[in-house]
Amino acid sequence: MNSIQQEILLELRNLSTVYPTKRGLVRAVDGVGFSVKRGQILGIVGESGCGKSTVLLSILRLIRRPGYIDQGQIIFRGQDLRGLSSNAMRNIRGREISMIFQDPLSTLNPAFQIGQQIHESLRLHQVIDGSRSLGPLKMGQRAREKERVLEVMTEVGIPSPVDRYTAYPHQFSGGMQQRALIAIALVCEPALLLADEPTTALDVTIQAQILDLMRRINQNRGTAIILVTHDLGLAAEFCDTIAVMYAGRIVEQGPVDDVVANPQHPYTQGLLACRPRISERGQRVQPIPGNVPDLAELPPGCPFAPRCSYQRGACDEGPIPLVSTSLGNISRCLLHVDYRRQKDWKWTDRVALEA
Amino acid sequence: MRAIKILERVIATIPIMFGVAIMVFLFMRLTPGDPVDIMMGQGGAVSAGEMERLRHEFHLDQPLSIQLWLFLKDAFRGDLGYSYVQKRPVIDLIVERLPATIELALGALIFGLIIAMPVGIISAVRQNSLLDRFSMAGAFLGISMPAFWLGIILILVFSVRLHWLPVQGRIDHSAGLQEVTGLYVLDSLLTGNREAVASSLKHLALPAVTLGAGVAAVVARVLRSSMLETLRSDYVTLARAKGASEWMVVLKHALRNALIPTVTVVGLQIGVLLGGNMIVETVFGWPGLGRLVVTAIFNRDFPLVQGTVMVYAFTFVMANLIVDVLYTYLNPKITL
Ligand SMILES: Nc1ncnc2c1ncn2[C@@H]1O[C@H](COP(=O)(O)OP(=O)(O)OP(=O)(O)O)[C@@H](O)[C@H]1O
Ligand SMILES: [Mg+2]
Repeated sequence: MNSIQQEILLELRNLSTVYPTKRGLVRAVDGVGFSVKRGQILGIVGESGCGKSTVLLSILRLIRRPGYIDQGQIIFRGQDLRGLSSNAMRNIRGREISMIFQDPLSTLNPAFQIGQQIHESLRLHQVIDGSRSLGPLKMGQRAREKERVLEVMTEVGIPSPVDRYTAYPHQFSGGMQQRALIAIALVCEPALLLADEPTTALDVTIQAQILDLMRRINQNRGTAIILVTHDLGLAAEFCDTIAVMYAGRIVEQGPVDDVVANPQHPYTQGLLACRPRISERGQRVQPIPGNVPDLAELPPGCPFAPRCSYQRGACDEGPIPLVSTSLGNISRCLLHVDYRRQKDWKWTDRVALEA
Repeated sequence: MRAIKILERVIATIPIMFGVAIMVFLFMRLTPGDPVDIMMGQGGAVSAGEMERLRHEFHLDQPLSIQLWLFLKDAFRGDLGYSYVQKRPVIDLIVERLPATIELALGALIFGLIIAMPVGIISAVRQNSLLDRFSMAGAFLGISMPAFWLGIILILVFSVRLHWLPVQGRIDHSAGLQEVTGLYVLDSLLTGNREAVASSLKHLALPAVTLGAGVAAVVARVLRSSMLETLRSDYVTLARAKGASEWMVVLKHALRNALIPTVTVVGLQIGVLLGGNMIVETVFGWPGLGRLVVTAIFNRDFPLVQGTVMVYAFTFVMANLIVDVLYTYLNPKITL
């Protein structure tokens, strides 16, 4: 790894995003922090409703009112995006950081041609230099822009792009729609791609193709990717590092091999255990018992405690810190809190558990 | 391809018009009151022989089936007969009056849309703001207020009290307008007659506002609710994620899709504009088809009522065809 790849592109610090609702304040993202280096792929894994999409939308500052970012910093290339004017923020969106969404059909505008929609991103950011062309030469710029659109359509694997340029979204299959969305995201060559469950709506073979495409983009262009998924297995194959989220918080984080081979947090262990594996027939899939908690009424202690087989009284007493485990993962569980230095914890069974 | 489809739709209006012709014929015959009696009642004492002669001239002494046959046969050739009362070809009377009605309907439609578009869009973008609540209350009022009542209030305020606008008619004859199309505002613009522009606009203002208020209210409400929906959609989030400015997001991505249901409603409002004009034309003394047909109904002037209703029906069908064509341009998923 050279030094460029070590450069930190995006760093979230203690990010919290909330949605006021009738039932109370929903803490969809609560003190999340991670960093993504150039060219790296980070996976965010968790069950439905744990706040994964909210993390991505917060990065682009696209949280819908009445929701808002409550605290934290979003440091991209050294500057906090939360401090930017809305104009400056628009220059980041689509140009520096792009996003692709879960449901391709509803994300493409039904009223415009695919080519137009890809072209729009390009034009919004004036990526193709038109400053030297005057008057009639603008035509030349237009033509170059179109050329670029066709080029990116080819790159994402849309066959016969010249014909498909004028097609409408409903005339595309789901896989082609997702390719078109990726083309929209990539046309300005962003440094960071946010992918919110990009393959969930697609069938398995198409899923593999789309992931393959994303990996190629990552390798050829050095585009960093944050991949959001509820599938730990998929993240394990695809990502460099993994952050596991539960109820708006990161519960475990680390290099992919450590997290998958040696999951430290009981929730990660549960996610791995309930993953169906074709190779090990006969072994039963074990779902995690219970349900995800209501984010408007979180308990003071560990939100996973009610579903956790290691649960002890101390789990419910107060917030659990994120601590480094012996393996280099970080985990938010009392199992890894050194009980001797934390006199307040009544964690008497620790020794028994380790045995 | 599209041209052929449009032609097909135009041809498909023939059976519709046929049905309309039969219906209006029967309804007129079902209404009590004999045309000749009414004519004579107005003219004073007339001999029984004279009445008999008129009945014969109008074929009213023939069986209904024969009368219907004669009417349909002539109508098919484009001959709508003679007005009993005015003794002139129905088609001439209609051609004389039609431009006034079209001008009023267009004026009302344009007024309605000019109000409804910004109100609908801004109310959706600023949902639950004071402006939103205020305009939706106004729209509710606009929908529930009868046109004749609104017309009279406007006359009282703007004509009688303030003397800003005329009460009656389409233009001051002193303006010396040269007719081209029969739409006076358009004609004054075409002939460059400034005085006539001002005069015709002043005359048009109150009737168009009265007739257009309901349209404005209905369209504003539909546009607002469609905008609320499209503004929440994923493609609007994508537009923002691309870096589009807020007005681009609203006016391009959200509005374009919100227009699809709105256009349908505007099409339905054309029927309301045509139906409502009878009242508005009567209140404002507007010399259009609406007043013509109202008088013709009172006189039991069968050919004139039949002819006018058929023109109404034809206009309505054509307006809807235009809306349907527009719809296919807005919504790529639909073909004619
Ligand atoms: N606009 C909103 N208003 C109120 N609550 C919201 C809103 N959007 C999301 N939430 C809540 O915030 C929490 C996190 O939502 P988010 O969409 O980020 O989850 P997710 O992990 O992406 O889930 P999924 O896998 O289903 O996409 C959920 O409990 C959800 O109910
Ligand atoms: Mg989501």
